[in-house]
Amino acid sequence: MAELRMREALRDAMAEEMRRDEAVLVMGEDVAVFQGAFKVTEGLLDEFGERRVRDTPISENTIVGAGVGAAMGGLRPIVELMTVNFSLLALDQIVNHAAAIPYMFNGQARVPMVVRMPGGGGHQLGPTHSHSFEALFLQVPGLLVACPSTPADGKALLKTAIRDDNPVIFIEHESLYGTRGEVPEDDGVLRFGEAAIRREGGDVTIVGILKMAHAAAHAAETLAEKHGVEAEVIDPRTLRPLDLDTILESVRKTNRAVIVEEGWPHGGVGANLATLITEQAFDYLDAPVQRVTGADVHMPYSRRLEQAAIPHEEHVVKAALAALEGSI
Amino acid sequence: MAEVVMPRLSDSMEEGTILQWLKQVGDEVAIGDELVEIETDKANMAYESDVAGTLAEILVQEGETVAIGTPIAQIGDASEVSGRDGGGTDRTAAGPVGAGDPPPPPVAKASSGAVPPTPPPAEAAINAPPASNGGGRPHASPIARRIAKERQLDLSQLQGSGPGGRIVKADVERAASSAGGAVGGPAAEEASATAGGGGSPAVTGPAADAVSPSSSPVSPETAKGTVSYEDPSKLQSTVARRMSESKATAPHFYLEAEIDMSRLVAARAQIKAGAKEGDVVPSFNDMVVKACALALREHPRANGAYRDGRFELYSRVNVGVAVAARDALVVPTIFDADQKNLRQIAGDSRALAQRVRDGQITPPELSGATFTVSNLGMFGIDSFAAVINPPQAAILAVGAIAERPAVRDGQITTAHLMRVNLACDHRILYGAPAAEFLARVRTLLEEPLSLAL
Repeated sequence: MAELRMREALRDAMAEEMRRDEAVLVMGEDVAVFQGAFKVTEGLLDEFGERRVRDTPISENTIVGAGVGAAMGGLRPIVELMTVNFSLLALDQIVNHAAAIPYMFNGQARVPMVVRMPGGGGHQLGPTHSHSFEALFLQVPGLLVACPSTPADGKALLKTAIRDDNPVIFIEHESLYGTRGEVPEDDGVLRFGEAAIRREGGDVTIVGILKMAHAAAHAAETLAEKHGVEAEVIDPRTLRPLDLDTILESVRKTNRAVIVEEGWPHGGVGANLATLITEQAFDYLDAPVQRVTGADVHMPYSRRLEQAAIPHEEHVVKAALAALEGSI
Repeated sequence: MAEVVMPRLSDSMEEGTILQWLKQVGDEVAIGDELVEIETDKANMAYESDVAGTLAEILVQEGETVAIGTPIAQIGDASEVSGRDGGGTDRTAAGPVGAGDPPPPPVAKASSGAVPPTPPPAEAAINAPPASNGGGRPHASPIARRIAKERQLDLSQLQGSGPGGRIVKADVERAASSAGGAVGGPAAEEASATAGGGGSPAVTGPAADAVSPSSSPVSPETAKGTVSYEDPSKLQSTVARRMSESKATAPHFYLEAEIDMSRLVAARAQIKAGAKEGDVVPSFNDMVVKACALALREHPRANGAYRDGRFELYSRVNVGVAVAARDALVVPTIFDADQKNLRQIAGDSRALAQRVRDGQITPPELSGATFTVSNLGMFGIDSFAAVINPPQAAILAVGAIAERPAVRDGQITTAHLMRVNLACDHRILYGAPAAEFLARVRTLLEEPLSLAL
């Protein structure tokens, strides 16, 4: 075990896969000489050279398009978009090409590409640079969606993503790049669709992704200390495929669920999961599924307003208590 | 169509009970008309409509209790109601629904964004809200419903403890374990089956005995005899909740003092002798209220509250007077008691006590007190310790005035003595300041001229 930051764990994943498989390459804005806007590609240019670590023009649709072509031609490109926000410029390539081509060609053409990009708010970057688009990509058939919250998961999931023959949207969180965690020093991969139970409890199930996985875990400690509530905390780690079984098993035990995400409420990850839970565990619910989401607004620039628009631990505690109202 | 919800009629109100609908479905309602009589945790009040129209639907029936914010009625314009009535009594088969009355569409429809503005009648009938939340399907969570079905419990017989009275898992599990029917039922069948198979009457005896106690609907005789149950009224529930909250959260300590009321007894006798027919003669309790009010003005901490980690200090001195009323306890408030003379205080307290006895007291008259006086002297109680009325800082418990031996200037003589006990919340009112406050009350009562000033 080594203690690594998230950015180091992701870098190690890419480096290990590049050593293992010559078809793996990295491209994106400032990924080579500048070593990445968030320094995730640090050292890769030195080790692998400019043929495999390529700086690109500022043109997201082109970067992803080149990735799709490279993937169809037999390479395994890792495309870095500087942030999730700029993926909007590349949606045509992501949705109409990367996701649809394997279907349109009946599997004769595959797109083994990873699109890595960080999202999330909290840094006073305003409405256009603070997005959480997990739900947007979750909607598209043909895309796999990963959203790691720990360095160990980040490394193992990215290795799996690189080896997978499907296009993978790999969403990182800007605020989590510096978080440290134990990372196994093996070649371990993690199957997509395998949720982590971060904490066991019998009173309420809390599902959180990315930074909100941490908010959920902290909320669970507060619930235990201050309210005598034992929450079960689940991090799905990948949204497609989703380990619904683990979540349903937990909800059947606790009868109550809270879903935490940073994105908008309408049509969100929580809205989707709440529906799945209601469809498949209806007879086990003792209260409506609670959602904790970002506010239904464009991200304000003002620090206070921005903080008010992002979910925090206290909102998770409140939602859990609301789900438990009448039983504690 | 306007929705009338259970209003919040007092600060502490969390739910209300519909006592009586003062309008019937189809009645015209004007703004300010008394619509419904509601029992809150503090009083019964007639609630005035703040919308005009025709009472289209009553959602909560008399006798039912719902949380504040819960819809209790619908008020629409006249055409809406006649349209509904024209459809017959069976609302699910209702005919036309007014265009101005879009039924809440099902979620899937709403999200499709393609809902026609006026759905065809048949669909509208399906989409309409449950015919009546009152007499219809009880609110229960899915798992509560499933367990109730499995254990053959009747949900309509259960009280829900969830939000808005929703029956939750804990409620049905409690009912299942306490009813015993769920356990006794199958067991009884099994026992009789065994008896039938064996064909021996000897088997039925003990087996039936073993089963009958748990399956009997009559509550069993305990060491305390049979137990009957009464539901506390709203007010009694509030008393229970607030008193336990007070004792559990406010660290009480008690100061006792004996006050020589001899001069006040003499003074009151003079006032009484000089009073004309119909004059209000201040009671001793009124004098205690006045003395406390004057002392409270000088001791801000006693006229405050410890709340949310801060001291709240109030600019007005409002003294609550505990009044026993019809199996309950209420504390009407004499506002600005420090500013009022004894006769005004006496007038206020008479009027408030009468309104309590008549059940006419309103929440505003029961709130806003900054201190409380509780007097059991009229029952001959010498002294007692009271529970603080939260979040106030203190309560004065007043005993009877009795002529007792007293030592004055080395001589044994008699005096009219009254024992008082001041219960204080140590989070805001500490021993020495509390003692100073109580000493001031004593001085004011022992030298009655100061009360008249």
